[in-house]
Amino acid sequence: MSIAKAKAEIARLAASGLAVELVDEGVQPYALVRGVEAPSPPWDRKVYDILFPIPVAYDMGTPLDAFYFGLPYTFNRGEHNRVSGQVITIRNCQWKLVSWHYPDGKPFNPATDTIESHIIHCRGFFLERGATNART
Amino acid sequence: MPELNLRISAADWDRLRKHCAPSFRGKRDTEYGAIGLLGKRTVAGRLSELIVARILWPEPGDVITHPHCALTFSSRYMRRAHMAMRKEGLCGLLTVHTHPMSDEYVDFSCYDNEQDPLLMENLVDLWPDTWLSSVVLGAQCQKGRLWVSRQQPAWLTTLVSVGESLRYLPLDGQPAPAAPAPSEIFDRAMALTGSGALAQLGRRTAAVVGASGTGSLMCELLVRGGAKRIITIDHDVVKDANLNRILYATKDDARLRRPKVEVLKRGIEGLGLGCEVVAVVGSILDSDVMKQLNEADFIFGCVDRDFPRMLLCQYAYQYRVPYIDVGAEIGGDSEGIVSTDARANYIAPGRWCLRCTGLINARRLAFESLTGPERKRRIAQGYSDDLLLKQPAVMDINMRAASMGMMLLRHLLQPFLLTPLPVTLAENLVTYNMKPVAAVRAKNDVCDICQANPAAGFGDCAEPLGLPSDVAASLIEDEEEPE
Repeated sequence: MSIAKAKAEIARLAASGLAVELVDEGVQPYALVRGVEAPSPPWDRKVYDILFPIPVAYDMGTPLDAFYFGLPYTFNRGEHNRVSGQVITIRNCQWKLVSWHYPDGKPFNPATDTIESHIIHCRGFFLERGATNART
Repeated sequence: MPELNLRISAADWDRLRKHCAPSFRGKRDTEYGAIGLLGKRTVAGRLSELIVARILWPEPGDVITHPHCALTFSSRYMRRAHMAMRKEGLCGLLTVHTHPMSDEYVDFSCYDNEQDPLLMENLVDLWPDTWLSSVVLGAQCQKGRLWVSRQQPAWLTTLVSVGESLRYLPLDGQPAPAAPAPSEIFDRAMALTGSGALAQLGRRTAAVVGASGTGSLMCELLVRGGAKRIITIDHDVVKDANLNRILYATKDDARLRRPKVEVLKRGIEGLGLGCEVVAVVGSILDSDVMKQLNEADFIFGCVDRDFPRMLLCQYAYQYRVPYIDVGAEIGGDSEGIVSTDARANYIAPGRWCLRCTGLINARRLAFESLTGPERKRRIAQGYSDDLLLKQPAVMDINMRAASMGMMLLRHLLQPFLLTPLPVTLAENLVTYNMKPVAAVRAKNDVCDICQANPAAGFGDCAEPLGLPSDVAASLIEDEEEPE
């Protein structure tokens, strides 16, 4: 048993030009995506790196959820209220867990969603919906 | 001599028998037959079972028959089967044909004895790793053998048909012993010595995954029911918190943190009923531990997590081994407890897996398949509050579930319940209701575990199930049991 499906998806995305790679941190695999675009302002940079864990049962149809956000950052010169989780160090960088769920009634669907669609979901955090959440 | 069995889904066996049935009607002068593709099951490198992955049903012209003459499979049919076997990574071919004049006794003919080695020679010339098994059918009996080389065949012992019931049919060309009368089903003295459920139980190996509250009770029911060999698998040790429900566990076991399976082995073997208990200290997520299931004739899942349940489901379909999952769940709302269910599910070819049943939750499975530290970070952020264990952990409820599991096994070995079995057999203890649940809550007609599993019947010919030991260890790290 392996995460062959996840590996194949990441290889396909990388071949298409997306800066994504599989990172093995101990025995927990992560997908690392570089250069996710963000509007600046309110974000302090135009691109960020994100990271999310791949469950080892991903090939059995488990959903992806949440992601880590590369530190440091500022949002409206302060902090974003959803960047509130623990900090981990991977590849000599610090990452903080972001509380960024799928909307109620529209969860990650293993039959149709993929690593690519999860990256699109994560991008939403930097855009209008994430910014709206930060204000409310 | 160790047994060498042929395992097949009940649907394939019934269809094969139906396909060949005209041979035994009317003039009884024409042979019928078909070719199957074989997977395998090994124990410590020794072949223990052939598994029929699928039957390639003959197309017009594939089987050449003439009245009073031996049947011939066309070279086109043989080639198609052999190509499929090689392409799919399977280990051999099964040829099945009838002897129309045989009723209660059947044997291979001189023609069969001449032709099988020649066919084997041809197949091995094409692909050296080909095995050939042949089965000859009489009206009420069957005989089987396996050629792994062109010399002497090995004789098959038992045909195991797995589906809505479990059938153990002799492959020695003799009729099956008569089943005991219905009144004897629960008569231990009669059934132990006859051909009924308990007699089969005494000849087979049961695996019980999970040796806590439900698992220890399951073992007790099996040994009192006549089981002579049980493999019990659990990675955990006895703690004070689970002394309320683990059979045979003592305060001393908790103080010394003895493995649950070793405590169970001591208790069950100490009964003096002649049952050998193989205690496996390890997680079923570990592929090395998972291999131990290759010795099991039936599996009981007494675990409270979805990842092991998922792997056991995959095992059941890949190896065509019956799996009974037992458990207990509490349902509640703001007003209090609304349901306390004891439950048993039977997983087998042709039936629904626990994912389709809705008992395996995809989010919980994802949560459980993260490593310990990653899971802790999720919990700290409140991501997974709804996924934390809420199963009841008291012996009286565990006992209801284990009891249902044992009853299902008795039924499978010697049917006495209404059939087909419900998808879930549940008992709501709050409302005093026994519920045969027929609904498949997350039904998927193309489910890659139960309905369209590409490795169904492949056994050891498919990719091994389970995780490397270090990954499995990291997933069970910091697991908390319900107090």
